[in-house]
Amino acid sequence: MLTHSFFNKIIGKYVIRLFMPSPILLNHLVKNYGKVQAVQDISFEMKEGEVLGLLGPNGAGKTSIISILTSLEKPTSGEAKIFGIDVALEEKQTKASLGFVPQELVSHGFFTVEEVLRFHSGYFGLADNKAQIDYLLNKLGIYIHKDKKIRELSGGMKRRFLIAKALVHRPKLLLLDEPTAGVDIELRNSLWEFVRELNNQGTSILLTTHYLEEAEKLCDRVAIIHLGKLRQMGKTAELVKNMTQRQIVFQLHTPTSSLQSPYVKSQSDKQIICQIPAGMELGELMGKIHLDTKVISDIRIKEGTLEEAFLNVLSEA
Amino acid sequence: MFYQRHKVSLATPELRWTPFVTLLKKEIVRFLKVINQTVVTPLMNSSLYLLIFGVSLGRSIDLSSGVSYLAFLIPGLVTMSMLNNAFQNSSSSVLNSKFHGDIIDFKIAPFSTHQVVWALSLGALIRGFAVGAVTIGVSEVFHLVVKGSFLGIQHPLIFIYYLFVGTMTFASFGIIVGFWAKNFEQVNAIGGFILLPLIYLGGVFYSLENLHPFWRIVSQGNPLLYFINGIRYGVIGVSDVNIWTAFGVSVGSMIAMYLLSIRSVKTGSYIRW
Ligand SMILES: Nc1ncnc2c1ncn2[C@@H]1O[C@H](COP(=O)(O)OP(=O)(O)OP(=O)(O)O)[C@@H](O)[C@H]1O
Ligand SMILES: [Mg+2]
Repeated sequence: MLTHSFFNKIIGKYVIRLFMPSPILLNHLVKNYGKVQAVQDISFEMKEGEVLGLLGPNGAGKTSIISILTSLEKPTSGEAKIFGIDVALEEKQTKASLGFVPQELVSHGFFTVEEVLRFHSGYFGLADNKAQIDYLLNKLGIYIHKDKKIRELSGGMKRRFLIAKALVHRPKLLLLDEPTAGVDIELRNSLWEFVRELNNQGTSILLTTHYLEEAEKLCDRVAIIHLGKLRQMGKTAELVKNMTQRQIVFQLHTPTSSLQSPYVKSQSDKQIICQIPAGMELGELMGKIHLDTKVISDIRIKEGTLEEAFLNVLSEA
Repeated sequence: MFYQRHKVSLATPELRWTPFVTLLKKEIVRFLKVINQTVVTPLMNSSLYLLIFGVSLGRSIDLSSGVSYLAFLIPGLVTMSMLNNAFQNSSSSVLNSKFHGDIIDFKIAPFSTHQVVWALSLGALIRGFAVGAVTIGVSEVFHLVVKGSFLGIQHPLIFIYYLFVGTMTFASFGIIVGFWAKNFEQVNAIGGFILLPLIYLGGVFYSLENLHPFWRIVSQGNPLLYFINGIRYGVIGVSDVNIWTAFGVSVGSMIAMYLLSIRSVKTGSYIRW
């Protein structure tokens, strides 16, 4: 009994993962709209169970990539695979494993929130899905609005409704295209918390957002795209470390003579701000800037942020 | 975890019928929600036609075949309202979805192209038959009042056959137009400038024998003529056109429209306006 469940765990955790095709695989993906080259030769692989942030300025090509994954748009060339199956084949199984929250708000004419969720469950083969629908309505705080028509909801409630709609069939892969656009800060936080919860339950999540602070907290990895090209991709923390410089701020109680060092970014009577290149230790820096430690009243270290990393990646090109 | 994954791949049988049945259900609920617009208004129209043409004007018109004008008019009116409503239903369903943005659901959910086409056409068929049933009901009342008896149906199977094929043809046509159209005006244009003239000139209100020989030949290029006369043959046993030609044209149109609607669902745009 014990060994049985033990083996299952091993198989489930490691062996299956070896053979499970990754949730998303892009292979030299290209998408042109007429003359506009929205996606230019992008390749990457998403890992099972991760939260991957797809970041980039407006018009970078994020929605275009997601549209190809949902088969709403056809790639100009290259391929996109979901769990190992080319999306161009439009396999039912592929679609059933996918949940999608579009960037553009969607309405549904005369239908109410609950009706749409019921129909949507049916589209995914779930004739009776009341438990899951009620769970999602409660979880997203729109249970009291379930009898309203979609167009009677406020913008933020429409977003929540769309998230519920994307989750009725418990997809293994969730695509969120700016799920928090136009959403107030409180709801944004609770949405991200919900996303994390889904991720902990094993859902792989690809998301786009312009809130980089939130992306930094949430995403295991990020891919930064700009003008249709993949500029950087990696673990969020590593990317921040590699693409930014830590700042160290010395508060002074006594003004000191001007320091002549390339590491000093700014100096006033009250404080000195230094930048530490990636890999340099604090002691080494202190040795190089020749600052008399007696004048220091306090030290603060400012870590780089994803936002800085993002801007640095964009300006590199 | 291991078992869960296997369960997912076993979920396929549910993807065979439930998505289709649900989409069909949604199509039916959709037109029932606006029943005033989808069933009551067409019924009003037919009643007005019956009153004006069948009862008022019809008294003075006689047909060489000895059939009363009212009996001649009724099958044409039934055809007209059924085909028109089938077309309206599928085209406006697709158009509204484009307008609201939920057209993407066709693409995102695990539907096959055939499932989408059949659900949309059967939804339109049911609306067509609902409108047809009430139109027949009202017509029979008119006939009873004016002629003192119900209008009998000579060949019920032929009648049903043409109703089915005709409604399916126009339901498919509605799907094609819905996916093709870029805005509501275009659909209204198709309905107003193409469909309605074809219906009116297809012999709903007059017999071909009353036309100048030139217009008689031109009219034969109108596919509606064959549906209307097929149904009229089913009801009163009289047709302006060869009944076998009508059979051929009806089957041919239905298959052509079905194939084109499959194509339009496959290649159509799912981007909202
Ligand atoms: N349907 C379309 N037809 C023509 N051009 C398009 C279409 N959709 C997107 N584009 C163009 O493709 C490029 C990429 O657009 P995309 O929507 O993928 O950007 P995005 O990264 O999602 O931007 P945002 O952050 O603003 O959502 C843009 O230049 C855009 O104008
Ligand atoms: Mg976008």
